[in-house]
Amino acid sequence: MSEGAGTPSTEASRAETPGALWRRNLWVWAALMALLALSVWAAYWPYGRIDTAVGFGIAGAKTALVALVFMQLKHASGLVRIVATSGLFWAAILFTLTLADVLSRMANR
Amino acid sequence: MSRADAEVRLREGQANVEARLRESQANVEARLREPWSELATDSETAFARQRGGATFGIWVFLASEALFFAALFLTYTAARLANQEAFAAAGRETNIVYGTLNTAILLTSSLTMAVASQAAEKGLFRRLTLWCLATTAAFGLAFLVVKGFEYREDIEKRLVPGADFALSQAPAQIFFGFYWVVTVVHAIHLSIGIGLVTRLTIKGWRDVGFLAENPQVEVAALYWHLVDLVWVFLYPMLYLPGRSG
Repeated sequence: MSEGAGTPSTEASRAETPGALWRRNLWVWAALMALLALSVWAAYWPYGRIDTAVGFGIAGAKTALVALVFMQLKHASGLVRIVATSGLFWAAILFTLTLADVLSRMANR
Repeated sequence: MSRADAEVRLREGQANVEARLRESQANVEARLREPWSELATDSETAFARQRGGATFGIWVFLASEALFFAALFLTYTAARLANQEAFAAAGRETNIVYGTLNTAILLTSSLTMAVASQAAEKGLFRRLTLWCLATTAAFGLAFLVVKGFEYREDIEKRLVPGADFALSQAPAQIFFGFYWVVTVVHAIHLSIGIGLVTRLTIKGWRDVGFLAENPQVEVAALYWHLVDLVWVFLYPMLYLPGRSG
């Protein structure tokens, strides 16, 4: 594991207390709950497609928070980060090639 | 050439070979990179490597899981693009209260799981770790209970694809076909997670030294977070479409 810059690693090097452990993670939970509330509210906005985009955008933001802090990718080694990204990379190829086909058929119908 | 000359040359040659050998030894040490240069190592490094190997292994598995779910999500995306109105009508029929409650439950379970994993990693706070693991498993069970109530309501509302299906638009059956497949697959994943976390709780409760610095806690935690993230994406796919219409 490489040393991460920023507050969490300096906190960890000090004498750790359960309180510090909770404080380091609770703000992420609070942010996740706020994002969940926002996505429920946004689903009822009368803008159609924008609502959908906001819904998936919020899912992406939640994923970033969970992956970086809860799954500790922020402090992970380069190897682990590459592996984690590779899943997304191949999924992106899967989506791009398939949707290129689906969307071009829809456009030419 | 005299004999004495030859002996001097021979000795020079030997010294040369020895010098080159010594040099290459030094070279080997310079060229060997981590972790190969320090195979005989202290216990702290050994613990770090044990953890590094476990983390790497579970991330390879999680990347393949991400691709498995990505294929399902892509199927949904293609079907939704082709049948936008039917998907909006079908999305309105799912119960957003149950869906939102379950999202909150899973996100909270990820908090307790993360705290358990970080406490175990430092080898500190055995009681905190145990308490957080037990709470995480309980949240997982709560999710399944809520899902059970939701399934009962879905069946009562005849939202199972087939001859008896409630909605008039045919493509709405594609939505609910996806709904049933993907929520059941997710529930199976979550059940495995509950099993893993329960096992850690019981073993950690019986054996005082089991949880401290045990990479199994982090591996189970990373799996748990991935199952949570799958649900984070299922939530806008299944519960949010068609609410504003």
